[in-house]
Amino acid sequence: MAPKFQIKVFQISSFIKNLTIISIVTLSFLLVFFSKSDLYLINGIKNISNSVIIPITKVISAPVNAFSNFVDEYKQFRSLKFENKILQEEIIRLKKWQTLAIQNSRENKVLKKLLNATDNNLTLIKTASLINRNDTIYSKLINLNAGYDDKIMKNMSAINERGLVGKVIDTTSNNSRVILLTDPNLSISVKSVSDGIFSLLTGHGDGKHLVSSFVKENKMPRLGDIVVTSGTAQIFPVDLLVGKVAKVEKNRFFVLPFVDFKNIDYLQIVTSK
Amino acid sequence: MEFSKFLNPSFKLNIILIISFSISVNSFILFPNVNNAFYVLFHLTLIYLIFYHYHYYLYVVALIYGILFDILLLNNIGVHLITFLSLLILFIFLRKYLIRLSSYQIIFIYFITLTILLLIEQFLANLIHNYKFNMSAFLNFFLISLIIFIPTVFLFTKLDK
Repeated sequence: MAPKFQIKVFQISSFIKNLTIISIVTLSFLLVFFSKSDLYLINGIKNISNSVIIPITKVISAPVNAFSNFVDEYKQFRSLKFENKILQEEIIRLKKWQTLAIQNSRENKVLKKLLNATDNNLTLIKTASLINRNDTIYSKLINLNAGYDDKIMKNMSAINERGLVGKVIDTTSNNSRVILLTDPNLSISVKSVSDGIFSLLTGHGDGKHLVSSFVKENKMPRLGDIVVTSGTAQIFPVDLLVGKVAKVEKNRFFVLPFVDFKNIDYLQIVTSK
Repeated sequence: MEFSKFLNPSFKLNIILIISFSISVNSFILFPNVNNAFYVLFHLTLIYLIFYHYHYYLYVVALIYGILFDILLLNNIGVHLITFLSLLILFIFLRKYLIRLSSYQIIFIYFITLTILLLIEQFLANLIHNYKFNMSAFLNFFLISLIIFIPTVFLFTKLDK
């Protein structure tokens, strides 16, 4: 009786194993199939990965993070003396500019009153801080600690004090994911400030520059020209600072963004008024 | 005694898998290649587990890591999940041929599998989600693979005694 029983158990376990493999493969294909559409299940998985998995991975990778911070602080410490000298010179220069800026600001206010103009075209939704970065070969993404509970929606713009940072591509209840301007899969419509030349910019492979993928009427902007969002695609609000033209070639030009993508701590999620 | 039984090579390799996954999904600005190195190490560990410690639980492991890598790196499920599961299924069919090979041939196939896996992932990302194929990034991965391959194999064989 015993060997028969053993054979039966083996058959059942092998059947269960095969069934598990088939169900896992089927589940995978279903997940791949439904991942494009916003199903409740997919959002749930994304929510869990953002709120549970990311903190766990941060704890596990804490030693590497601590070492990275230590090297960063050591580098900063080494350059402290030199930086101090530069900052002192900059303070003197900025004081001169401040006087000029105050004068211009007063003048600006008076002129705005005369023109009956509004101050800006942006509505601030939320200021959020960075949780972690997924700056990999596939995409340049960052995760923020605010989600749709804070009224953050897909396609809203993310900015900081230097200009446009990126666009919200996904939100969960307490987290949101922002695609950076430097990502080669993101396109933004921009215009040059001096000539008003409209073009489309995408992230360049080097992760530092933006490169034009389309230029209206093939008119190239001038070197050093400032580029702002055009607002024509109605995704980004108009006149957000993007960067400066750094290189002009025959059929394309390169823009160096104003934002330092390596030093992002806080972001403001904004939308057009 | 019980604890040493618990710390079998398969368990140790799974710990390496968790650590390499955690480090590869958290970017470090000063050391971007650390992420890439641990990303390659994750693939090396997974292939090693499949080749030398094949078990049915690896399907669940591939499912979980596939989904997590896809969501955290690409924001879309597909690329890693398909490649990890395909590797497992392919291994079942090729197992009887792999057994006949010498250790040097196995190591060569191990490296080739790693390279093809990394290449297919980029290709699928382009095909399914329209992500741009980044040749320089792939070459960077290839270079890292060349550097860390032999030390990793040495470490794994030590773990396996």
